[in-house]
Amino acid sequence: MAKDSNAPGASPDLSVQLGPLRLKNPVMAASGTFGYGEEYGAFADVEKLGAIVVKGISLEPRAGNPPPRLVETPAGLINAIGLENVGLDHFISGKLPYLHGKRVPVIVNIFGNRLEDYAELASRLDRVPGIAALEINISCPNVKQGGMLFGADPAMAASVVKAVRAATTLPLITKLTPNVTRIGDIAQAVEDAGTDIISCINTVAAMAVDIFSRRPKLANIVGGLSGPAIRPIALRCTYEVAAAVRCPVIGVGGIFDALDAMEFFLVGASAVQVGTANFVRPSATLEIIAGIERFLQVEGISRLQDYIGTLDTRCVFPFAEESCALGD
Amino acid sequence: MVKIQEQAWIMEHEKLARQTYRLMLQSPEIAAAARAGQFAMVRLGDGLDPLLRRPFSFHRIFPKQGIIEILYRIVGRGTGKLSRIQVGDSLDVMGPLGNAFRLPSCDSSLVVLVAGGIGIAPFFALMQDLVGRPDASLHLFYGARSGDELLPPQLFDGLRVTVHRSTDDGSLGYCGRVTDLFQEFMGSALPRPDAVYSCGPLAMQYHVARWALNQGVDAQLSLESLMACGVGACLGCALPAIGADDPATDHYLHVCKDGPIFSPGSIQWQKIQMHRALPQTFLYN
Repeated sequence: MAKDSNAPGASPDLSVQLGPLRLKNPVMAASGTFGYGEEYGAFADVEKLGAIVVKGISLEPRAGNPPPRLVETPAGLINAIGLENVGLDHFISGKLPYLHGKRVPVIVNIFGNRLEDYAELASRLDRVPGIAALEINISCPNVKQGGMLFGADPAMAASVVKAVRAATTLPLITKLTPNVTRIGDIAQAVEDAGTDIISCINTVAAMAVDIFSRRPKLANIVGGLSGPAIRPIALRCTYEVAAAVRCPVIGVGGIFDALDAMEFFLVGASAVQVGTANFVRPSATLEIIAGIERFLQVEGISRLQDYIGTLDTRCVFPFAEESCALGD
Repeated sequence: MVKIQEQAWIMEHEKLARQTYRLMLQSPEIAAAARAGQFAMVRLGDGLDPLLRRPFSFHRIFPKQGIIEILYRIVGRGTGKLSRIQVGDSLDVMGPLGNAFRLPSCDSSLVVLVAGGIGIAPFFALMQDLVGRPDASLHLFYGARSGDELLPPQLFDGLRVTVHRSTDDGSLGYCGRVTDLFQEFMGSALPRPDAVYSCGPLAMQYHVARWALNQGVDAQLSLESLMACGVGACLGCALPAIGADDPATDHYLHVCKDGPIFSPGSIQWQKIQMHRALPQTFLYN
């Protein structure tokens, strides 16, 4: 680990290079948790974000799942929104202009029922100016077609990425589901298929029931769990994916503060996305950016890049620091 | 529209009825912008349980004094935790959010409010606005399961409102549902109202909505939902709506950005599953 001892007060360099995508800092708002930017305009300055990932877009508008769509669980939130969105045309004409007025990289999360949908979305967005990258959603647990169905199988995941890769020159991020046995296999498959970057994880398949009415708490019966409850799962997935591929990895899942984010950098993430925390603290992403900077300053690290993936896997026994070692 | 996030100091925290509390908050910027019918998202402490903010309508708004009030009933973990907040503590509040009640037109002669249980909460802010309208007569139909859940009568002093009370168990006022009492009056003792406002359990609101649609009376329903963000980002607080074009396709409105005030004709009531009242939830508190 490179320590910069001569400039303790200097601002550390938070910029990150994610394959073809360069960001001024490594913190993004995760898809589905920040709308199209405008919704949180009054509460947080989106221009300070490394990037914003907008709500998943499909070719046609989608109504989403019947309500109830949300249930809160310990340190978590289960949702079954069902990818409600305004559709590609209205996204381009009605939602994108607001973000174009802001100086922030826009990453468009795309979703389709069929392989061809993904390809068409990519080729049409390829012609739209002001888009920094596409994030391929093959990991939503709340829809009957597409979504996790594609992301749970290495061959199918690869076929989606190939189709999108052939349709656009934009940087590609592929978002993986944790609801698989070996996420590293999926990661390798999408890397071989041409993704530039991998983000992980999407929500964890979950459920909640009411013991009095004997009914599910979600109309969709099952949904996807997010929030601090899934952070250790996300961390493990990020660690495994980072070990399995050469491309950069974005860590996502239950990050609520800067120290959470540092865990993901340590296991190999080059950037992070913040989701559920936005609902609780609309300025969570900005606090995390400031907190990362502080952490690096205090630790005397001049560039975030120097911290990424530096985990020493030899575990230290708790309370066994040298100062209290026995036998001396 | 202005939206603010501010740290609001608790000035008063008072129990007003069974499991029902009123919080007075010093929140000058939100108080200056808030209107009757809108709501705030309140964070209940710094911890992860409960994780999400909770939506509360403005109970009373005092813009000059920089004060907002929240009236709530303990129904679960969030409100259970809220009930233990002390005077002098502070809460992180986002607001004002959502749309507001449309005030009745100036020539309205009869304005009727229908409130079920904690559904009374936003009507105090509305009545504050209507106090300056001496021409309109104001009737409130106010029901609860039992008399000890109703706010004490002196709280209505000075609001120039005639209150008709009902309880499901008959312990106070009319014995039966508030919608039955409301409909009895509407059929006889009171003329056709110029404006109807409703807030309470969904099944109650459905009755008011059906009545208003049948009578062709202008009604405004204050609806609620579980919410994560309160600002239209998560799309979690969906309600089945009458589709704009094709009635066969699903179409949803969102309580936080399209509401919380809705017209009866915009909701597709048949698609909302209503079930029996759940047992007392003190088990979770």
